[in-house]
Amino acid sequence: MKAKKTALAQGFIRCHDCGCLSKQTDKNSHCRLCGGRLHPRLTKSFQRSAALLLSAFCLYIPANIFPIMTVTRLGVGEPHTIIGGIIALVNGNMAPIAMLVLVASILVPLLKLLGIGLLLLNVHYRWQAHAKKWTILYRIIAFVGRWSMLDIFMISILVSLVDMGSVAQVIAGPAATAFAAVVVLTMLAAKNFDPRLIWDNQR
Amino acid sequence: MNPTNLSACPECDLLLKPSSPVVGDKAHCPRCGYLLQRPRKQSVERTFALSIAGLILMFPANLMPLVGIKMLGGAKDGTLWSGVVALFEEHLWGVAVLVFLSSILFPLLNIILSLLISAHLYFNRPNRHLAHWMRWLQHMDEWAMLEVYMLGIIVACVKLSATSELKFGFGLYAFVALLIVTGMLASSLDKVLFWRRIGQLRT
Repeated sequence: MKAKKTALAQGFIRCHDCGCLSKQTDKNSHCRLCGGRLHPRLTKSFQRSAALLLSAFCLYIPANIFPIMTVTRLGVGEPHTIIGGIIALVNGNMAPIAMLVLVASILVPLLKLLGIGLLLLNVHYRWQAHAKKWTILYRIIAFVGRWSMLDIFMISILVSLVDMGSVAQVIAGPAATAFAAVVVLTMLAAKNFDPRLIWDNQR
Repeated sequence: MNPTNLSACPECDLLLKPSSPVVGDKAHCPRCGYLLQRPRKQSVERTFALSIAGLILMFPANLMPLVGIKMLGGAKDGTLWSGVVALFEEHLWGVAVLVFLSSILFPLLNIILSLLISAHLYFNRPNRHLAHWMRWLQHMDEWAMLEVYMLGIIVACVKLSATSELKFGFGLYAFVALLIVTGMLASSLDKVLFWRRIGQLRT
């Protein structure tokens, strides 16, 4: 019954860009208002989102195992992983900032990886319950995605400022690339996921 | 049924009669709760004014030093650009490009596109590229991450404050002002109204 109410079920396609409705016919492939290409749902939403998520999962492992930066003081190098950096902050009595980094670089990526995974399972197995709550989960994931870039920006600032030769130097490690890739891939996965698929499955 | 006097929710595709909320009201989707429209007072005028202010602030925020440090006799200033260069010199090209895009290029394009669109709407000048610009603006929105960068600056400063003397440059004040202006810009830009005006200019 609910599915009958969607615009698509009644023969209308909503333009992704301008929101203008068009009648679903064979002729119109472009929106009459903005000229954008019309497709009833995001193209290959499930496949693209799943592929991006899987790549992000794979890169999440090197992002956490390898050092994200090496701090050299008076010639002695000290590599830090993401978690190591947080522990160093806690030991330096900077617990609030440590919490912030913990949330932005550990919890948010985990929430995104698991959340998008669950959303994809939801769509695939056509779970019927709590469609509204799933949509809210999608919104949270789409909103928090960008905040994981915090660590990357912080490294970029530290690397440019702390560059005093052998006295003190910060060098970014290989995990930085992997972590940046995780952030971008999960953002793209969330962007490619079409929340209307959740509602299409409701009976 | 005529599609012009109907609309659909972008997140659950519920077919809706377009509501026209007044300034100060919000229109939510009755099924999934998506915020459909939140009209703003003088949306076009304010967007126009704020994007001019943002464009002016872009220059000091990008060209002047944000933070400087003094450490064991050495001193160094950091700008947005120097972070990108430092990452590039350490052969982290991917991360460098990502930081460049999300902290310099996309915020700049965001402001330029807002300026172009709102100026055309303000002076009622039709332009065949308006719909393209609006589409790019919507896709770029998420990738301009000035507020995340600000948080990165704060975390980096806290980390450095233990071992070195920090100096805040004029660029940082300009950066904070730019942050406020872009935040106001995003909230004053009423997408539904803008698309409607673009459609009206076309015919």
